[in-house]
Amino acid sequence: MTELERALVGLGGELAFPETPDLSERVLGRLALEPSEPRRRRRALVLVLAVLAVAVAAAMAVPQARTAILEFFRLRGATVERVETLPRVPPATETTLDLGRPLPGTRADVLIPAALGPPDAAYADDEDYGRRLTLVYEPGPGVPESPYTGVGILVSEFLGEGATRYVEKLAEAGTRIERLQVGAYPALWLEGGPHIVFFEKEGRVFEDEGRLAGNTLLVERDDMLVRIEGEISKERAVEIAESLELG
Amino acid sequence: MGDRPLATDDDLVARAQRGDTRAYGTLVKEHQTLAFRTAYLLTGSAADAEDAVQDAFVKAHGALGRFRPGAPFRPWLLAIVANEARNRRTSAGRRERLALRAAEDPLSGGAVPSPEAALLDAERREELLAAVNDLREDDRLAIACRYFLGLSEEETAAALGWRRGTVKSRTSRALDRLRAQLEVEA
Repeated sequence: MTELERALVGLGGELAFPETPDLSERVLGRLALEPSEPRRRRRALVLVLAVLAVAVAAAMAVPQARTAILEFFRLRGATVERVETLPRVPPATETTLDLGRPLPGTRADVLIPAALGPPDAAYADDEDYGRRLTLVYEPGPGVPESPYTGVGILVSEFLGEGATRYVEKLAEAGTRIERLQVGAYPALWLEGGPHIVFFEKEGRVFEDEGRLAGNTLLVERDDMLVRIEGEISKERAVEIAESLELG
Repeated sequence: MGDRPLATDDDLVARAQRGDTRAYGTLVKEHQTLAFRTAYLLTGSAADAEDAVQDAFVKAHGALGRFRPGAPFRPWLLAIVANEARNRRTSAGRRERLALRAAEDPLSGGAVPSPEAALLDAERREELLAAVNDLREDDRLAIACRYFLGLSEEETAAALGWRRGTVKSRTSRALDRLRAQLEVEA
């Protein structure tokens, strides 16, 4: 350690940080209350409970409750696992979309689906490991509101060094997973039941909790992963994916 | 009670994963100061930092099922804390920088200065602090995490959402800039 580094360590010991509040009682109090707390986001709660009920039913239906991965699908940057029981689902009140910061305008490197036109909002989450851009389309004619996101369609574009990956866990037997091609690109289509999606970065949780997701198309476009989520048909999702072009 | 060995993070996490909320409470107590100071650096607000850390501990509890046994708990927790802190900073639209300041009387109460602190007289301390505050945001955060909070490279990477190599290179760059700044002032 150099003299400057030692001086910085010494300075750190003299900084005026605000006094740390004791949070343990409050945290434990919230943990005790969470299960019975009235939900403001009752819709999300209903979905969480529905998925949990299915997971429990699936676990009870087999001789031994297991959490083994039953099927495994992989794209570069995305992994889809079908499991018998879901990972822990966060409290519904914490189910939020974390899309990064709003983009005030379009960027030259954003792919826009011509089939949908300009988005109603766009967000960017730029990190050293790569970039995530998300286009938000509000519900409208032919685009119902998703009960999982509260918007119509989400189009997310991941570009990076492969350090970020999706993990989409599915517990419902009724959720279909289909391999397909979108143009020249390999893709996965998930339909028929809610599943849980979360992100990991370099082996650590990136979004620290999963969230419920609806119908989803994952497309591996060279070094980019495109994710399209909404209550839309496979054909519509593919049409949207095929129409992506630089805005 | 008093002669029981202190439980390690691994022990406490394992117990918390089995539903032992008292063990989780102990984890909260042991890590809340570092979590709070990290969040404070990122949000610039004690109130936001408090909310962020409280939410982060609740979310971390919900995510314990995905925590890899044997992995270090602190970097994992700090990543969640930092995510909550950044969300608050973003949602509040805050862009002003937190100006770090020294305590009014850092050695009050009869505290014995650490060897590092003893190197700094008041004037040099103010110069150094001013130079740190003048750094660009990335450099300042790297210095603050590594030296003020005493985070490891891995923990700094988790807190700032950077690669470990980036932490190393930015810290080195920040130290170079600090040296240059202090030489100019000298």
